[in-house]
Amino acid sequence: MLTEEQVVLHERLGDEEQRLRRLVLKGPIAQTAKAGQFVAIQVQDSSISSFDPLLRRPISLAEISSERDEITLLYRIQGRGTEILARAKCGDKLSVMGPLGQGFSIPKEEELWLIAGGIGIFPLYPLAQSALTQGLTVRIFWGGENQSFLESAGLSSWQALGIPIYLSTLDGSLGQKGLVTEQVLEQLGNPLTSGSQIRVATCGPKKMMQAVTELCKSFRVPVEVSLEERMGCAVGACLGCVCTLIDEAGALIHKKVCQDGPVFRGEEVIWDESC
Amino acid sequence: MSPVDFTTQLAGITLRNPILTCSGTYGFGEEYTAYCPLEALGGITLKGITPLPRLGNPVPRLAETPAGLLNAVGLENPGLEEFIKSYLPKVRKLPTAAIANISGFSLEDYVQLAKVLQKDSGLAALEVNISCPNVKHGGMHFGTDPQSAQEVIAAVKAETDLPVIAKLSPNVTDIVGMARAVQLGGADALSLINTLLGMQIDINQQRPVLANTFGGLSGPAIKPVAVRMVWQVFQAVDLPIIGMGGITTWQDAVEFLLAGATAVSIGTGNFVNPQAPLEILQGIQDYCEQRGLTSVRDLVGLAHKG
Repeated sequence: MLTEEQVVLHERLGDEEQRLRRLVLKGPIAQTAKAGQFVAIQVQDSSISSFDPLLRRPISLAEISSERDEITLLYRIQGRGTEILARAKCGDKLSVMGPLGQGFSIPKEEELWLIAGGIGIFPLYPLAQSALTQGLTVRIFWGGENQSFLESAGLSSWQALGIPIYLSTLDGSLGQKGLVTEQVLEQLGNPLTSGSQIRVATCGPKKMMQAVTELCKSFRVPVEVSLEERMGCAVGACLGCVCTLIDEAGALIHKKVCQDGPVFRGEEVIWDESC
Repeated sequence: MSPVDFTTQLAGITLRNPILTCSGTYGFGEEYTAYCPLEALGGITLKGITPLPRLGNPVPRLAETPAGLLNAVGLENPGLEEFIKSYLPKVRKLPTAAIANISGFSLEDYVQLAKVLQKDSGLAALEVNISCPNVKHGGMHFGTDPQSAQEVIAAVKAETDLPVIAKLSPNVTDIVGMARAVQLGGADALSLINTLLGMQIDINQQRPVLANTFGGLSGPAIKPVAVRMVWQVFQAVDLPIIGMGGITTWQDAVEFLLAGATAVSIGTGNFVNPQAPLEILQGIQDYCEQRGLTSVRDLVGLAHKG
């Protein structure tokens, strides 16, 4: 749907050097939204309409509250679009399309492992909430640059969920020093933790998701990945955001990240960018 | 006050109103139905098809520019056979006029497509995209050489009973010469304009942003070029014009009508506001009413008079 959602909270998230923001919008989108879906939000200085920047910005849902009719978007200011979005004030109305795309699937009884790189953590939070509500066991593996980032990007709200958390930082300032995939490998290879049926959902940099997918393949663990691509229409019409998949017959096909994804089965994704 | 008459005659077809959507921005008509009821539109132009399926270009295919968008999708499409099997049955049921868009890399490609796409396919017209390289002639674009453009249109015209709309490329020095050429080829109408060739470089990576290096520029940034071309062709060539290129608001659409477009088509504007076609229609209606015009046809070419 296309709707006007009202800004009810717009604040800095953690250290200012991380350039992270929390935007809470009130409106009808929360009623039908699922974890892994996204919205396409018009970024305009509300005082004057302009076509620069032209396109809507796709932002994943970081929290969905159907009781309060609220969705939460967490984002990093990293370009002209998000710089302008960051100026939206409480009470402003923003033009939002959504919920868009296909979200994560929630397993029925297996254990759900969430593996995040950087701000790829954001769409995994509502997935963790839904899975926990359904009584599943959930663990989170999260890698980031340093302690300041992890704390700014919502570590305390993950700790509040009371689930096992495996942290990695590049500089070792919090958790294990190194890449998140190293901890995933340790746990997958650990008979104590990997005894049950596991499913993985991952979001983060492409290389990280590729590595996670390869790990999962070798341990025969099903994995869902949330892809990112430059989008035009956000509804599957313009074919701007395609990804390459391999179908069951072994043929290379294109799917639209905006409409068929952003969540895909890791095994079907062709990670080579030249396709 | 009497309601404004929106009925539009174009290339022998009657449209409910002069609002169309551009090929490549509206899929095959299913993607936007949750945002804009198709029955409100004069028609939609379908995603361009080629004889064989095409996967198109690698990503990134899009680059945003000031008030504009560069795209290099590379004519990704399911191909003629799959179009007929999987898409045409649904297209027939669309509650608006459907214009097919065809592309080719040789004269034979266009002929093959035109042979199959006829009035009994349930289509309203055939729009011919001539902004492709002719691979048999050293990659010279059909759309930049008047002789090739005329030949393509004549060949298509000879094969189909559908009205033929020639979609012209703005990447030429003489748009009027191109319009005259396709008129000689037998075109029933013109679509003006396709995208302008451009590129963007990422100064951090020090590489082109688009995987294809070059792309077609669309959006508000190209509107003045499009209006100018519609103006020039309207003066010189007696064919109905579908004006397009950056139309995002009703004011943009009125500008094209005043310059000489019989209908207008919305492309990238749909990405900005998926309800743009509806708002544009309403805006044109209000504009006509305020000026006491009873038909949208009265606006066409009005800026040329007096």
